[in-house]
Amino acid sequence: MATVKITDLYKSYGSVEVLKGINLYIEDGGFLVLVGPSGCGKSTLLNTIAGLEEITSGDIEIGQNSVSGLHPSKRNIAMVFQSYALYPNMTVSQNIGFGMEMKGVKKNDREIAVNKVAETLQISELLDRKPGQLSGGQRQRVAMGRAIVREPEVFLFDEPLSNLDAKLRIDMRTEIKLLHQRLGSTIIYVTHDQVEAMTLATKIAVLKDGCIQQFDTPYEIYNNPNNMFVANFMGAPAMNLIEGVIIKGQKSVEFEMKNSKDGVISLPINDINDIEKYINKTVIFGIRPESINDLESSNNESNKNIVEREVEIDIVEPAGSDTYAVVEFGGKQVVARLNGNSKVSVGEKVKLTFNLSQAVFFDTQSEERIR
Amino acid sequence: MISSSIRGNSGANIKASRIFIYLILIIFAIYYLLPLYVMLVNSLKPLEEIRGGGMLNLPIVWSLDSWRSAWSSAQIGVDPSGLRPYFWNSISMVVPAVLLSTILGSLNGYVLTKWQFKGHGIVFGLLLLSCFIPFQIVLIPMAKLLGVFGLAGTTAGLVLVHLVYGVGFTTLFFRNYYSAFPTEIVKAAQIDGAGFFRIFWRILLPSSGPIIVVTVIWQFTNIWNDFLFGASFADFDSIPMTVALNNLVNSSTGVKEYNVHFAGAILAALPTLVVYIVSGRYFVRGLMAGAVKG
Repeated sequence: MATVKITDLYKSYGSVEVLKGINLYIEDGGFLVLVGPSGCGKSTLLNTIAGLEEITSGDIEIGQNSVSGLHPSKRNIAMVFQSYALYPNMTVSQNIGFGMEMKGVKKNDREIAVNKVAETLQISELLDRKPGQLSGGQRQRVAMGRAIVREPEVFLFDEPLSNLDAKLRIDMRTEIKLLHQRLGSTIIYVTHDQVEAMTLATKIAVLKDGCIQQFDTPYEIYNNPNNMFVANFMGAPAMNLIEGVIIKGQKSVEFEMKNSKDGVISLPINDINDIEKYINKTVIFGIRPESINDLESSNNESNKNIVEREVEIDIVEPAGSDTYAVVEFGGKQVVARLNGNSKVSVGEKVKLTFNLSQAVFFDTQSEERIR
Repeated sequence: MISSSIRGNSGANIKASRIFIYLILIIFAIYYLLPLYVMLVNSLKPLEEIRGGGMLNLPIVWSLDSWRSAWSSAQIGVDPSGLRPYFWNSISMVVPAVLLSTILGSLNGYVLTKWQFKGHGIVFGLLLLSCFIPFQIVLIPMAKLLGVFGLAGTTAGLVLVHLVYGVGFTTLFFRNYYSAFPTEIVKAAQIDGAGFFRIFWRILLPSSGPIIVVTVIWQFTNIWNDFLFGASFADFDSIPMTVALNNLVNSSTGVKEYNVHFAGAILAALPTLVVYIVSGRYFVRGLMAGAVKG
């Protein structure tokens, strides 16, 4: 078990910079998820930690020791690959035991260790099979077994669930979380799936174009995104980002957004200091779908941050547990997440409550958060 | 009524087209097998029967004499040695040349796909280019080089020539095969602590069955059938089978012994035939079982 510390990490291929000054720290036993769209450098970052790619500058420490320059096998890490990367010509038990074999562990000791891991992963009956004879989920388990048997200080997962079907993916996600709790080991996990990131992580690093956009706990990433990219990337359905103007109202500063049917709707803004600088300027207003409700769905709590506005519903999408109602603001579709029993219908004028305590505003130019 | 008659019609159509296809296939099979038949049948006839015409007839008197003669006593050049010594010359040239070029090709392919270095594309391009150099162009420089190395006229010299010529092809085969081999497996092995040769020997090579078979068949056939290099660079004690066959046909002691020539030609073709028959089944069988997602 160990901490991982990454300092000013740069990586370039020729003239193309892939990682531009990454700084990360994950505590002992932490679960760090690197998330971002494809091409953001998250897998490259993981490969540099594993030692499979050389770094251009900066430093990587596992425990107290700098590992840059160390061979992958000497870094005390284990990696689970997206394609599982099982050795096709070896049986499951040979696959799991290959690392120990390379270290020169005796055959008997190897077998004991392999059997123990196979038992915890419930793959004992598969030990004599070849990877080609296994299903996707079973291969996934074998790949994890190969990692666990090394008893590494840090586990590296490179999109391990993306080749599984939807249901199996959720099962394996839970299993990885259980595994983390049981082993208490440090894990670094790459994914492009923000749900995986939210459910698994103790810390999330959101990457874009080789830069960390935000590095924080899942709660902070979700509720206090640093910029529009993070706000848009995390959460499904995504945060509503609505263009509008800040005006000076009678009581407080207000945000005005236009709707082609109902005209202008304005919402009061509290507790955002810098918003005064934006009076009469265009900003982006961000609000999560679950912060927009109808009167039935909201808990009737009265709060100065909860305001009611009447709008016309354009689309209704029932999804069982929730009903998504789509209204139009600022030329964009805005999703409201209503209770599954909600009876709203298309074309109806409904009073929606906007919970503004979770609302955020962004500068249109820099796309940074206005705080 | 209508529908059933239509069904009956189309069934008959399918049957007719089947028969047509098989007929064509059988005709072509006969067409391709006919030369082999002629050679085989006539090699088993005494010379008088051949002279009497009737090339397609079965022998009246079956005899293996011409085979014995072709193998061990026919006049080749100045020696009445038969093809036997030259057969062994060919074997001792082909086997090392095939093995070495296959091993080198697989190593090249491994490096060019899994351990890429700066300029690997250029190196591969140059190796590919070597496949397209006509044999005739290199004859004189190659003779000069063999002289410098002291390998002129030796079997080792011929092995070197075929190795140099073969590596371009074998590299091409293995590079293309390994470029489809998941690099993540190599990375996993690196993390497991396996080195360059260990990864090659334990992981890539055991998965290379089909491409090894392809390469061996290709190389074996090409080197065994080569005439130009054999005629140009071989000395008396390293002359390969193809050149000896030519000498057999050309050195006559009066009459043209067609039956012996036929037998000799089959003997010269036999090893390549055996290689096809033996390794053909691995060719079909050994396709890599899904290591990655299925």
